[in-house]
Amino acid sequence: MTGPVQVLVVGFEQPHFSGEVLAELTRLRAAGIVNLLDVLVVTREADGHLETVTPPPGELPEDSGRLAAALLGAADGSADGAASTASAKEHGQWSLADAVPIGTTAAVALIEHTWAEPLRAAVARSGGAPLEETWLAREDSERLQSLLADHAPG
Amino acid sequence: MLLVPRQLRRAGLTGDVPYYGGRFTPAQAYAASHPSASAPAAPPSGSLGRTVVPEAAKPARSPEDTLRTLERLREDGVITPEEYDDLRSRTAT
Repeated sequence: MTGPVQVLVVGFEQPHFSGEVLAELTRLRAAGIVNLLDVLVVTREADGHLETVTPPPGELPEDSGRLAAALLGAADGSADGAASTASAKEHGQWSLADAVPIGTTAAVALIEHTWAEPLRAAVARSGGAPLEETWLAREDSERLQSLLADHAPG
Repeated sequence: MLLVPRQLRRAGLTGDVPYYGGRFTPAQAYAASHPSASAPAAPPSGSLGRTVVPEAAKPARSPEDTLRTLERLREDGVITPEEYDDLRSRTAT
């Protein structure tokens, strides 16, 4: 594993991970763009605690979720898996408890962006320091699209 | 199976993007220290991401308040006596 890893948390009304999403991630993996490392399904109970969910047969590999569960949580309830605190948030930390609302189910995907490693290495070699990274909101993307159309040659 | 969530650090795709958690970002610090200056490269209203504070939202300060603040900054050693005289002369005008 060499590329930066994204944690994508997607909420669902029902505990399943769309086959369509998996198919798209498989296509991107074949193209050498991303690598789906693992998918974990969790549900947040009414009392706030998180439970891992065994996905329905056929939707995900049988051992799916073990890697993500070990990374994102402490299944045995050890001290390292302490719940979110104000201090942790102040230091820019996060946890699944911050992301998954009570009473909902979420699929948590670990996605390695293999395409980004050369870019990250180039930034480091050039002595650059990342100052901000974000994604454009849909309305700003639409505005950008309009600007691109306005500046298109011809 | 019960899963106790672990706290994880955030990072960006190209490296560790600084997290300002409740503190001023460099842009906010610049704006706070240059209240009368135009925001650098301020985009037009409604453009990407930047929040422009309306002029009317800034609290009005009397010359007396400004002088008291300058005196406190001088006494605390934040500004030199020369800077104090300079800023005071600007306040008077």
